[in-house]
Amino acid sequence: MSRLDTKFGKKLKKYGATEFNRCYNCGTCTAVCSLTNSEDSFPRSMVRLSAAGDQNGIESSLKPWLCYYCGECSTSCPQTANPGELMMSLRRWLTGRYDWTGLSGLFYRSSLVTIIAMVLVFAGVIGYAAYESFDMERIMHTAHYFEMFAIMGVFAVILLPNIVRMWYLTVIKPGYKLPVKVYASSMSELFIHMFTQKRALGCDDNQARWFAHLILVIGYLTLLFTTVFLDWFSTESMFVVVLGYVVSAIVFAVTFVFVLGRIKQKQEIAKHSRPSDWFFIIWLLLMGITAFAVRLFIDLDLLAGNLWLFLFHFTILAQWALIIVPFGKWTHFLYRSFAMYFDKLQKSK
Amino acid sequence: MQTERIKLTYDALVIGGGIAGGEAALNLANNGYKVLVVEKSLSVGGKMIMLSKVFPTLDCSACITTPKVSEISRHPNIKIFTESDIESIEKLGEHNFVAKVTRRPRYVVEEDCTACQLCEEACPVIVKDQFQYGLVGRKAAYIPFSICSPKVAAIDIDNCTLCGACEKVCPPGCIDFTMKAKQYEISVKTAIVATGFELFDPSTVKRYSYQEGKNVITSMQMERLLAPTRPFHTILRPSDGKVPDKIAYVLCAGSRDDSMGNPICSQICCMYSIKQAQLLMGALPMADITIYYIDIRAFGKGYDEFYEQAVSMGVRLVKGKIGKISEKENGNLVLRYEDVSTGKLKEAEHDFVVLSVGAKPNEEPQSLFKTQKLELDNLKYVKQSDPLLSPAKTTIEGVFVAGAATGPKDIPDSILSAGCASTEAISYLNS
Ligand SMILES: Cc1cc2nc3c(=O)[nH]c(=O)nc-3n(C[C@H](O)[C@H](O)[C@H](O)COP(=O)(O)OP(=O)(O)OC[C@H]3O[C@@H](n4cnc5c(N)ncnc54)[C@H](O)[C@@H]3O)c2cc1C
Ligand code: SF4
Ligand code: SF4
Ligand code: SF4
Ligand code: SF4
Repeated sequence: MSRLDTKFGKKLKKYGATEFNRCYNCGTCTAVCSLTNSEDSFPRSMVRLSAAGDQNGIESSLKPWLCYYCGECSTSCPQTANPGELMMSLRRWLTGRYDWTGLSGLFYRSSLVTIIAMVLVFAGVIGYAAYESFDMERIMHTAHYFEMFAIMGVFAVILLPNIVRMWYLTVIKPGYKLPVKVYASSMSELFIHMFTQKRALGCDDNQARWFAHLILVIGYLTLLFTTVFLDWFSTESMFVVVLGYVVSAIVFAVTFVFVLGRIKQKQEIAKHSRPSDWFFIIWLLLMGITAFAVRLFIDLDLLAGNLWLFLFHFTILAQWALIIVPFGKWTHFLYRSFAMYFDKLQKSK
Repeated sequence: MQTERIKLTYDALVIGGGIAGGEAALNLANNGYKVLVVEKSLSVGGKMIMLSKVFPTLDCSACITTPKVSEISRHPNIKIFTESDIESIEKLGEHNFVAKVTRRPRYVVEEDCTACQLCEEACPVIVKDQFQYGLVGRKAAYIPFSICSPKVAAIDIDNCTLCGACEKVCPPGCIDFTMKAKQYEISVKTAIVATGFELFDPSTVKRYSYQEGKNVITSMQMERLLAPTRPFHTILRPSDGKVPDKIAYVLCAGSRDDSMGNPICSQICCMYSIKQAQLLMGALPMADITIYYIDIRAFGKGYDEFYEQAVSMGVRLVKGKIGKISEKENGNLVLRYEDVSTGKLKEAEHDFVVLSVGAKPNEEPQSLFKTQKLELDNLKYVKQSDPLLSPAKTTIEGVFVAGAATGPKDIPDSILSAGCASTEAISYLNS
């Protein structure tokens, strides 16, 4: 039995969806969506569940993750009900549902809370630096280990349990009982989508955006790998140094293009930027720039006199690792890939 | 060179010679008032004269329009200017309007032409026939359509090569290329705006493939294919002349749709589509007909029964607005939609698709009035100053409005509103 929440529409407003109640059920959105098919028809079905306030129905659905926000449905909707933005808002809402800490939802609903958290992290970094009497050597050393442990910690404590929750809500609770063999054989789906996001190619006229995305994902992961495991900031290897420069520049360049797009608002997807979108893209951009600048200052022997730059980079890094990665938009990348996996599981039935 | 304007005086000016304008003119004339009807096209009759049969009675449109049109044309109190434009209307005081009118030359002396069509035969130029909505061609010397009024030839000077062939064969010698536009200054005591509506242009919606898809037509084109005066005497699809057997109707094409710039219901398209479906079942007994709709709006007297009749005849009705139409190599069309009753995305193949295009406002009347403002409503239809109690009144006292100029209307409602406008005009004339 699903319980209907009449206040759901109000709740969802805080996640960005404001107009979906205008929907008069014509089905145009579903008909123009190039990712929809007769098995998974959306977004109208999700508009319906949202209008009815059927939270259980939404929770157990993977459809929001199957949408790559090309915006086609929103531009074609006769009622300007903006179904594309509804799908995006549902992804935000679902992120909040999967997250056992409840912080995701809190951050999505309130920019103030997000900013406070950001400030707290900043204060922590400065506090730690003061504790170490602003000793550059020690701070850099800690930053390196912090990154490593933050990644592992966040994954083990937040992301993994959340994925298990997602699995429970979408596979177990709806009653799919599957043998382990199916879990293993569907695994490839997870990795293919994680690294290629190839589904986004199904969207009409989306090749350029998909390609930019792919470059960004590869750039970001390589940057992470270079700094954490290849120890970019202390390495002697010329290859690693150059690699670091290249990938940080790539991350910066691609995010810069995305920021410009969101400012110009030409594409449908860029028209409805929420604070969470801005945080994500700006922090990614700052990560690229500051990492690049730090290594440049090292190579020019300037870093010693410019501790502030490193602290700035460290702050961005810490905010990224402690707030945006576990609770923000970064998780969408993870949930999307798992959604494809779980979807494959559901369909194997 | 400024030619002297010919001065004329009438009691009432009716702008637009569609069914609403014609009915209003007739009511005034029957009450003894002198009326001038100014029509911008070559024939009076508006859209109604082009229709096949009309809902909900399934009367033949030509058979009921032509007697009405000839009554108007022959009425001693009515003068009709076709192929004419109103440049301006000034209100100088109550019961005192002056209209400047230009009659464009048709290069055929109206009084002498016998409509023998010999000029048509002789003319070597072929262009698309706008009166058949581009389905067939016509000559540059042509009779607009078989039941036009006045039934007189005209020369389409923009496409004419001035070869002179028509002039040579015309028995009464009534073709006159020296004909000039005539300017009039007309004094009237009251005016009725009956400028009707425009049709939504589906070529603005790329996903309907109206331009690329050869077998995607508009409902107005289907009216022509079904009319007794139709071009092919049967229903043929344009790409290969095949008799279609799987026909689809796309409802709300350009209506109730913000994304297409027209948020309101056009009120007539559900009904005329149901009507056309019934006529098609008669014309092509083997054909399957599917109507894709959001909601069926059959709200007039006898309309719901008319709808039920279509259903019982076997017309298939599917709830779901068509999102995309793509053409296949053989000219068939694939329609993509969500079947709203099951919530599943579906694709269906049809060999002929009719877009039930909606009504759009005709904004022209606003610019005609110079001294006082004829206001339009927020949807750009002529604004009714008191829509509930005096629906024919506009924002200018002494100027009334009839028919689809105030919003989408079917024929019975257009006639009703014409009655209302003429009554209001008569009261004004006597006040
Ligand atoms: C495909 C289709 C099928 C239909 N089928 C039916 C049906 O079965 N039954 C039914 O009841 N209704 C039907 N209708 C509706 C019907 O056509 C309208 O109700 C009717 O035409 C309205 O008449 P009108 O005189 O107000 O406007 P119109 O028919 O639009 O006439 C307006 C006239 O004014 C002229 N005009 C416009 N601007 C100017 C200007 N500035 N100066 C001078 N003249 C001007 C135009 O040339 C035209 O002659 C159908 C409509 C369509 C599109
Ligand atoms: S296109 Fe708009 S109105 Fe139509 S079903 Fe989708 S959301 Fe609703
Ligand atoms: S935004 Fe694009 S992918 Fe998402 S539901 Fe709409 S049309 Fe489909
Ligand atoms: S003069 Fe013009 S209208 Fe007459 S036959 Fe020649 S081309 Fe046709
Ligand atoms: S009359 Fe029917 S087809 Fe026309 S706009 Fe209204 S609902 Fe749509």
